[in-house]
Amino acid sequence: MHNGILLTAAGWIRDILTFLFGNELLVNILMTLVGIGAIISVILTSAIVFTYAERKVCAFMQVRIGPNRVGGRFGLLQPVADMLKLMSKEDIIPNGCDRVVWSLSPMLLFVPSALIYSFFPFDDGAILADVNVGLFLLLAISSQAVLPFLMGGYASNSKYAMIGGMRTVAQMLSYEAPMAFSLIGVVMLTGSMKMSAIVEAQATHTWFVLLQPIAFVIYLITATAETNRTPFDLVEDESEIVAGPFTEYSGMRWALFFLAEYANLLSISILTTTLFLGGWHGPVLPGAVWFWLKVLVMIFVFMWFRWTFPRTRIDQMLSFSWKVLLPLALVNMLLTGVGIYLYQSLC
Amino acid sequence: MFGKGLITGMRVTWKHFWGKKVTFCYPEEKLPMTERFRGGHLALNATKCIGCKLCSLNCPNRALELTVTVDENKKRHMQQYLHIMGRCLYCNLCVESCPTQALSWDKEYAISSWYKEDMVHDSMSDQTSAAVSEVKPHE
Repeated sequence: MHNGILLTAAGWIRDILTFLFGNELLVNILMTLVGIGAIISVILTSAIVFTYAERKVCAFMQVRIGPNRVGGRFGLLQPVADMLKLMSKEDIIPNGCDRVVWSLSPMLLFVPSALIYSFFPFDDGAILADVNVGLFLLLAISSQAVLPFLMGGYASNSKYAMIGGMRTVAQMLSYEAPMAFSLIGVVMLTGSMKMSAIVEAQATHTWFVLLQPIAFVIYLITATAETNRTPFDLVEDESEIVAGPFTEYSGMRWALFFLAEYANLLSISILTTTLFLGGWHGPVLPGAVWFWLKVLVMIFVFMWFRWTFPRTRIDQMLSFSWKVLLPLALVNMLLTGVGIYLYQSLC
Repeated sequence: MFGKGLITGMRVTWKHFWGKKVTFCYPEEKLPMTERFRGGHLALNATKCIGCKLCSLNCPNRALELTVTVDENKKRHMQQYLHIMGRCLYCNLCVESCPTQALSWDKEYAISSWYKEDMVHDSMSDQTSAAVSEVKPHE
């Protein structure tokens, strides 16, 4: 398995483009565009698939059967119907809102969510930007997602949106710290922040979920909080603050928020797969298939969390982050360091 | 403590995820009505009926309009059995009073109609529901 199917496909496309244009610079530019297009289409497809999957998983866990009308017995066209509904909705702009900031917010939220996909190794060599500070960049970019939430919340001129925006800042900032510290354990084991190196290290040794179980649990919890999903969906909890920063948005603007939310869910699942579950490595099946299998399992786990746990209170959530997760992550770092020292001195 | 309750909760949802669902896709699937459910059309088994009119005599709302003829052997024959559903209060007195147990409910509860005239059901001419209710375990 020297070349993954994705890389082989990219090679074919490059051959075709070279045959058509000949100019190497032009082909390189086009190939970058093809990569970006592939990532965007992955995000859009995932949004369609996940809306359906979320509704079905939710229904099954609540002993219902979920969508079963649009598109046959299994309601397969339900996401299409949802999308058409969102597109045909009226674009309501609230009175007294900050127009520029208000309309920029949904677009800006989608940018960091989509940008971090360039650091994910989808298959052997199938990574858009394999930089040596990949993990660091990834965390830095994904933490930018806080700002659009606050922008939307502030600019909506609504108390619910404002509270939601403030909560986002509190939640995302306090969960970023334990997340980063839990991932340091992985980086310590690998000795690199390069995403492909992390995957390689897991192929030669073992999955990091076995070596870093504490970090894995901390990461799962913080990832749920970072994606604003239940039990940490205080940003948009219906029963208290309507929909948080999204309250005043409708139609396609709201759909962009929704898209970013599912892009975040997918990216966090991909990150879990890459950092803890051995990335695209696996026996028999091709790398890309293993990768998506693991990612889908992780997505199911996040949906499972969502439809099982009740929502926490804001003070519980913040104190849990600072008083439990952060010390635990630091202890994990210490243990990892001691473990590495012992391993190196013994072997 | 230490997330034990979380594990329990996840086990419960995991079981529900794979378990049997309680939803009925209504127009395609219908919930089977219970044995003592009163509703729908009155189903008359014409072969059992002796034309005694006890059902209509017992009806508090006069919801049953019967036409009975008597032949030369003084045997009574039911000609028309009109169940006026708009008047019926589904008290079950007609079914209980029938000496030959020729009456039953067909339990077809979706009986709303556009016009008042459609609320009159001829149980004599509609023998299909009676045939369905004929198949009973104790008979």
